[in-house]
Amino acid sequence: MSSRRSRLRQSGSTRITDEQINELISKLQSVLPEARRGGNDRVSAAKVLQETCSHIRRLHREVDDLSERLSELLDSADLNSAQAAFIRSLLM
Amino acid sequence: MTISNGDGDSAAKDGRRERKRKRRAEPSLVKWKTEGEQKTYSSKLIEALRRVRRSSATGAASAATDHSRSRAVREAADRALAAAARGRTRWSRAILCGRTLKRRVLPRAGRPKPVGPARAAERSKPPALKTKARVLGRLVPGCRKLPLPSLLEEVSDYIAALEMQIRAMSVIAEALSAVGGAPSPAQTEGPM
Repeated sequence: MSSRRSRLRQSGSTRITDEQINELISKLQSVLPEARRGGNDRVSAAKVLQETCSHIRRLHREVDDLSERLSELLDSADLNSAQAAFIRSLLM
Repeated sequence: MTISNGDGDSAAKDGRRERKRKRRAEPSLVKWKTEGEQKTYSSKLIEALRRVRRSSATGAASAATDHSRSRAVREAADRALAAAARGRTRWSRAILCGRTLKRRVLPRAGRPKPVGPARAAERSKPPALKTKARVLGRLVPGCRKLPLPSLLEEVSDYIAALEMQIRAMSVIAEALSAVGGAPSPAQTEGPM
């Protein structure tokens, strides 16, 4: 990785190669829900970042909805220790 | 690196130590998908939910709006999620340090852009990528000023963690609806 040092430095930080970035971007793409299509090279890095942003926003929204639902359920349900143990047993 | 001891063994040990001192292997994404991790998270979350419920009941119960309660639930869920990460990621540490830090306006050290001939370094990150990366950095807690490679690593871990959070919360919500006697809703939403 000597090319990293021989290139011009910007503000003292080591330059990051294109290869590294592409590798990380493809790894990111593989966790996105739309990773099923073949030929990943066709998808640009910007598109992947865009998809990632939308995906995260979607996940945040789901968590918010679930939080709302849980808070309503908490209110109506009587979560005493016996029932909490029961729920825990359901999960185990 | 000077090795005072001429012993070959210590040289090997130094090599091992140096490898350990290097950046640790990135957090494995697989752990967020394991059942064990999800169960651990679920029990922690249930305890946190009980605390939320207790605090909202003893406090001004009538004044507690639905929004503030769901907000408390969301924060408890996020904190439990961050704790599950065991401090290995930046986003988890940022959550545990308290969200107010994120909202505070930190003084930005103004770094003037290098003026002069267009360097090859600049061209590797076109402005379109830069803006998108900045948006992404804002979405993930504690990752605003991260360079792109670290940011992408944080993002993939954060996404895996969020998906587990959603799975766990859905299960708990279903269980609560069953226990509460209320008819469980027909739809079960889940990303996977």
